[in-house]
Amino acid sequence: MADAMIQTGIFEDLQRKIDEDSAVKDALRDIVQTLEKQDRTTQSILSRSHSTPSSDLHTVVSAAQANIDKEIQTIQQLSEVASQHPYYKFNYSWTRTVQDACYSILLCGWLGGFAKGETGQLLTIEDVGSTMKVPVNLKDRDAFHLTIEEYLLALISLLDELARLARNSVTLGDYRRPLQIAQFIKDVHAGFQILNLKNDTLRKRSDGIKYRVKEVEDVVYDLSLRGLLPKD
Amino acid sequence: MGVKRSRTAMEGQPSSDAAAAQRQSPLMPMFEHFRAELDEHHDRRERIIKASRDITAASKKIIFTLQRIRHLNQDLPAHAVKGNQPYHTTIATQLASVSADLQGLNAYRYSRQISGGCQEWMEAVSFQHYIETATLLSYADARTQIKALDREGPGVELSAEDYVLGIYDMTGELMRFAITGMAMGGSLPTIPASSPQSQPQAQPTDSDTSLMDIDNDQPAPSPTTQRSLLTDMRALRSALESLDARGGPFAKEADKKADVMRTSVEKVEKALYGLIVRGAERPKGWNPDAEFAGGRAVEVEA
Repeated sequence: MADAMIQTGIFEDLQRKIDEDSAVKDALRDIVQTLEKQDRTTQSILSRSHSTPSSDLHTVVSAAQANIDKEIQTIQQLSEVASQHPYYKFNYSWTRTVQDACYSILLCGWLGGFAKGETGQLLTIEDVGSTMKVPVNLKDRDAFHLTIEEYLLALISLLDELARLARNSVTLGDYRRPLQIAQFIKDVHAGFQILNLKNDTLRKRSDGIKYRVKEVEDVVYDLSLRGLLPKD
Repeated sequence: MGVKRSRTAMEGQPSSDAAAAQRQSPLMPMFEHFRAELDEHHDRRERIIKASRDITAASKKIIFTLQRIRHLNQDLPAHAVKGNQPYHTTIATQLASVSADLQGLNAYRYSRQISGGCQEWMEAVSFQHYIETATLLSYADARTQIKALDREGPGVELSAEDYVLGIYDMTGELMRFAITGMAMGGSLPTIPASSPQSQPQAQPTDSDTSLMDIDNDQPAPSPTTQRSLLTDMRALRSALESLDARGGPFAKEADKKADVMRTSVEKVEKALYGLIVRGAERPKGWNPDAEFAGGRAVEVEA
């Protein structure tokens, strides 16, 4: 029978484990911060779409896409480090930022980026994954990937931004885009309605979609009242 | 939403509103796939939460039984072993039911859902281990034990975090055990040394155990050098306090539990003080725990 309650080594081992995890966290944080910074730049480029006429939109899109390429390099780095550890052990440290990057890609794609050529296209989760060069919705192995939740949350951010874009398009004299946005938001809204969401972040954020539907419908309504809708 | 107005709004559009409503969103197949994936995730999550709750409940019952034991460093009495058997079976069954859900990628995905059960289980087994052997169950041994509970399956992984948090909770049980021991037996439960002159305690680090030292843990040729439940609690407190959680959600939880642990150690210290100062006057059946229920009646630094 041991004379001391605590065998030597127990707490030393635990501390070592904690320290190791902490080192991983630090390494990840550096990469995530780089990605955050890059994404802020992308966002500021993309926000010019609110004041750019459709005819010049391609300049905004190509500038954003060039910056997204840098983000993708960082995501590659993140993927490499993160894949050495259990995915869900540390994913809290990047999920928010990856979501933001996914949103940038979705918005850029909707505006005609990534060889879509025309506006109004939704990049699927697979599209975003191949753009990011990471797998999506992994189930059979433990490595870095884009999750469905991250994609859906980014999609909701896209709707928020498009509702704003609908109004600003009108200001720019583009009366066609609000119709396109209205249809798009309705399609996504219909999709979200078939999901069985639990009381989580996704549920709370998706509850806001119906307000976006209404916002854009209001814009379309205003245009139709004044006979401003395109007649074709 | 706004059917009336959109009917007028959509006038001149190739598709009438009725047709638009009929028209299925082109995104439906994609969302149907998401629905299937999310449903699978939520179902699994709920299974794990349910198992975790059942494991928690069974562990609590095991602890109740253990709190009725009065001897340290001895095998459990037969009635306790027999009484706790069904609860151990429940725990093993519940763990086995979700062990497949907690493999690979999913081990950490649902760690928050199973964590409650694991911590409570850790509290129960470490408490039992202490009663039987007067030592702290190591993380390695605890990990092996929980894995072994799922005899036919892959087993459930115990995280270092859950181990530590479970040990924090276990100090509360030691406190209850010590107080009950003092109330029923009139003295703090002690652990007889296995060899004469052996030094109790291998305190790994310096720490503020000096707080309210009633000279029990000073090596002096008196019965107060005797290793007791209190000296062990202090050793544990010291070891846990020296652990640096390094931020994050774990550090937050550990901090909260550390406060409770400190209170537990102090409760025993205060009770022991009361026992020594007023021991002779103590009426039979007086329970020191009652002293603390109504607020901090006992001032130690008098």
